[in-house]
Amino acid sequence: MRGAKSAKWVAGAIVVALAATACGGGGSDSKANGAKQVVMELGEPQNGLIPSNTYESEGSEVMNALFTGLVRYDEKNETQLDMAASIETKDSKVWTIKLKDGYTFHNGEPVTAQSFADAWNYGANQDNTQETNPLYNKIEGYADLNPGEGKKPATDKMKGLKVVDEKTLEVTLTAPFSAFKTMLGFNAFYPLPKAFFKDPKGFETAPIGNGMFKMDGKFVRNQQIKTVKFDKHPDAAEVKIPGVTFKIYNNQDTAYRDLLGGRVDIMDTVPLSAMTTAAKDLGDRYIQGTDSGVGYIGFPIKYNKVYAKPEIRKAISQAIDRKAITEKIFVNTRTPADDFINPLVPGYRSGACGAPCTFDPAAAKKAFDAAGGLPGNKMELGYNADGGHKDWIEAVAAQLEKNLGVDVTVKPFEQFQTILNDLGDKKYSGAFRLAWSMDYPHPENYLRPVFSEDAIEHGSNYSGYVNPQVEKFLDQGDTATTEDAAIKAYQQADDLILKDMPYIPVYFYKLNAGLSKNLKPGVRIDNMTQIDWTTVNPA
Amino acid sequence: MPENTSATVEESAVPVATAPGSAVKGMKKDKPERVASMWSDARRDLMHNWVFLVSAVLILALLVIAALPGLFTSGDPYAKGFCDLSNSVVPPSGAHWFGFDVQGCDIYTRTIYGTRNSIIVGVLTSVLTTLVGCVLGMVAGLRSGWLDVLVSRFTEIWFAIPTMLGGLLVLAMLGTGNVVTVSLIMAVLGWPQLFRIMRGAVITNKQNDYVMAARALGAGGWRIAMRHILPNALAPVIVVSTINLGVYISAEAAFSYLGIGVQSPNISWGLMISDGQDRFLSAPHMVLFPSLFLSVTVLAFIMLGEAVRDALDPKLR
Repeated sequence: MRGAKSAKWVAGAIVVALAATACGGGGSDSKANGAKQVVMELGEPQNGLIPSNTYESEGSEVMNALFTGLVRYDEKNETQLDMAASIETKDSKVWTIKLKDGYTFHNGEPVTAQSFADAWNYGANQDNTQETNPLYNKIEGYADLNPGEGKKPATDKMKGLKVVDEKTLEVTLTAPFSAFKTMLGFNAFYPLPKAFFKDPKGFETAPIGNGMFKMDGKFVRNQQIKTVKFDKHPDAAEVKIPGVTFKIYNNQDTAYRDLLGGRVDIMDTVPLSAMTTAAKDLGDRYIQGTDSGVGYIGFPIKYNKVYAKPEIRKAISQAIDRKAITEKIFVNTRTPADDFINPLVPGYRSGACGAPCTFDPAAAKKAFDAAGGLPGNKMELGYNADGGHKDWIEAVAAQLEKNLGVDVTVKPFEQFQTILNDLGDKKYSGAFRLAWSMDYPHPENYLRPVFSEDAIEHGSNYSGYVNPQVEKFLDQGDTATTEDAAIKAYQQADDLILKDMPYIPVYFYKLNAGLSKNLKPGVRIDNMTQIDWTTVNPA
Repeated sequence: MPENTSATVEESAVPVATAPGSAVKGMKKDKPERVASMWSDARRDLMHNWVFLVSAVLILALLVIAALPGLFTSGDPYAKGFCDLSNSVVPPSGAHWFGFDVQGCDIYTRTIYGTRNSIIVGVLTSVLTTLVGCVLGMVAGLRSGWLDVLVSRFTEIWFAIPTMLGGLLVLAMLGTGNVVTVSLIMAVLGWPQLFRIMRGAVITNKQNDYVMAARALGAGGWRIAMRHILPNALAPVIVVSTINLGVYISAEAAFSYLGIGVQSPNISWGLMISDGQDRFLSAPHMVLFPSLFLSVTVLAFIMLGEAVRDALDPKLR
């Protein structure tokens, strides 16, 4: 994923877009069958509406309405079968996926094992430059489709994907991977109809899915995506609304006012400016919950020897008052982090980080000085200015200055990508903020894509951290045959990373969503911030 | 500079030169022994103008604050540990009149210390635009012909760039701004206005009788320019630069508000307003106080400029 744009990295809680908006009508549509079209607030999706090219929260939201995946996640973040009738494996290497009957694409074409194989082959092919490309790298034959820049893949199919019959797909992985089933709920693993391959460009604005809602008209950039209920979906009876219109906003404050005015019905991120009043404004239509994001401060260990000592990084971590930051700056929309694994996935241990994540300025200063401090007593802290990070980064800087006595310079970058580029070009060698939110609810997703050696090249290990012991435990977790053994191995890897602390975990994100008076309270939003559309009921 | 014109009277080398239009008017109502000139008239006018007096007092106060902020507050906003998150967004109280911002910094101290940057930007930009505009305006106005055409066309190119838009572009390209870069950019984009005024005034004054007279008496080009044309052409320039001073201060705030002007940890009112806007509804004091200082400062300079204009150009009254 290196070089990918904002991708799955949480670039900002608040999407600040500079372009002037041209929000057309879209508000309340004519009443159909007595129930009104539901309007949901959305940020502009990064790319066209192709599942394998969607690796950010906004596009993902739309994908979830238009497509039905093999699995979905319930309240406890456990993986439940959705379109799959069964997913079985003996050795975590060869997986047999059987499909349920009755699913068709919105154009009438039945969804078959081939629809999945074609979609994944397309997504994994480097020639198609799909955002989610690295997610297929566990499947055997991925390397053949990705021979490297400038080279042409010799084939357009991964040999690990075998269509046994219309309803059976056999997937062979390069190595055992126990979390593969969990992974399948992410939009990269949705199926694609034949129509897509005839006109991928047209599909970007007029996608044809197999989900509960189908497109009504085209995706109008910067305005809206309108969908209506797809009556032939097997679960159509559970959908109580005529359709969903995703109305695109580039200012969350405007969207919030529209929510209060009933022109928007669902908003999945209440803006910071409304946080102190939201509970009063929305009453029981204010939804607070968990979110999978983790906010870090990272160090370019590979490029800057100054931060090489774990003691220094741990002392910095200990000098940060997480509680004050989450309470005062984030108005309790974040919670202090105490593990690299988010609390909502199995494998999280409260307080796993221990002393380094517990605020203790005196001990921090002592450890910092004992480890030799930083040269020139100076430190740089970079952040992307487009995501509402200024306040908390400045607060961290003030705390480090006060508690460690270092001079901290905060450095705003235009976009998150700019930080990554400057780090890559060695133009910037300071510490930087970043965050990770999961693709699928599994501890593996918090460790391997961020801290493994492989992730330096094909992932998001921007600190350049390598620990062979960590690699060993991650492999152990991948190849474990039972869920418990897998989690135990991942936790051992987690412990080692916490000990080395290449990134400092600072806070966990929380979900703060709001509903308008047009809807009944009780809408379920899962931990990927996806709406469970069967729980949306008109008031 | 204003003394120059009245001084010529005593020198009496070119007695006729002291009689620009207003002097004649002044002669009528004043005691005959008093020497009247445009500048002494203006001074007398201003002393009786409450708008001038109010704005002058305000500006004097702001200048003192800018020069010696330590006199007005005991805190040092640049000190380590000045801000304490436990005070975050605490509203105004008896001990802390302006309350605290998101970072838990005392807003009163920050507002006081923010005065300096605003005043520096305003003064620096005004001085630079006036200098460049005057020099080029004099040259173009005195030396008509190809030089005038050349300079005037060159100016028009710059004139076509709106200050705000051009500033946004350049500052965004530079990435980070500070007091000096912001002033320089605004000066580069702002001088054509003063050039035009100066050139126009010089051309008008050049044809006046007293210039002819001076020339007839054998005064050289340089002497005519410096002693007869410049002092009389300067009035409108001073008026516009004073008004502009306020405008530049608000422009700096706008640039800083947009995140491309003065950068944290430096303090600027625009930056403070931008930081506070997210919670304007729940904690208006974070925006209110820096805005108040900004408005009062801008208003003071614009009022001063208008008062000076009224005094220098009685025709407009």
